[in-house]
Amino acid sequence: MLNEAKEVCPTTTLRMSREGALLVDVRERDEIDSLAFDVPDLLVMPMSEFEQRCAELPRDRDLVMVCRVGERSLKATYYLMYQGYTRVANMEGGIAKWARKGFPVEGNASAAIASAETGCCGGAAPAKNNGGESPSAAGENCCAPQPKRAGGCC
Amino acid sequence: MDIKVLGTGCANCRTTIALIEQVAQAKGVAVNLQKVEELRAIMSYGVMSTPGVVIDGKVVHAGGVPGRDKIEQWLIAKQA
Repeated sequence: MLNEAKEVCPTTTLRMSREGALLVDVRERDEIDSLAFDVPDLLVMPMSEFEQRCAELPRDRDLVMVCRVGERSLKATYYLMYQGYTRVANMEGGIAKWARKGFPVEGNASAAIASAETGCCGGAAPAKNNGGESPSAAGENCCAPQPKRAGGCC
Repeated sequence: MDIKVLGTGCANCRTTIALIEQVAQAKGVAVNLQKVEELRAIMSYGVMSTPGVVIDGKVVHAGGVPGRDKIEQWLIAKQA
């Protein structure tokens, strides 16, 4: 049995990205055309191509898997763990949570936030943000890498 | 014969289970059929496309509902 996947929040992901981690976006290309992560190092590898292309991913660098709400990216995280990758984590909440926190994106963030609310994860209305990319001080405290919590679709 | 059907509970997974039960009964083959629905457990077999079918620890199918002919071959092969 595989170990529990490491999960990181958007705040930690932003920090890791600035420190050299590679974000791997597994959404399909039409989703990414609407809204994309705006980070220094990003690789697009849609789930439809993932099994065929995953060998392109480096094993000697931190990888953070991302998608819309964190479900597909969790599956991709486990797949990489199955393939022997050790420096891989899933970003919980997906670009929906990332955008809600006001972190850097290109495209229409409000659509992603709205669609996440009507998905399986439901959730409260998004907190208002005034843009900008600084992680909140409160957010920093919650964000140590941790095993996946059991239960729930998110 | 231990058969595991991997999948998070979608219609294709349920269909696969029902089909295996039907074929096993029709062929008179005793099977121990289990559902594996938890993502971590599914991915421990390296199966990205579900439903997946594992027979005696080996992945024999991944993605879509297997055809009846294919299921019969699995059951007959194990009987031999």
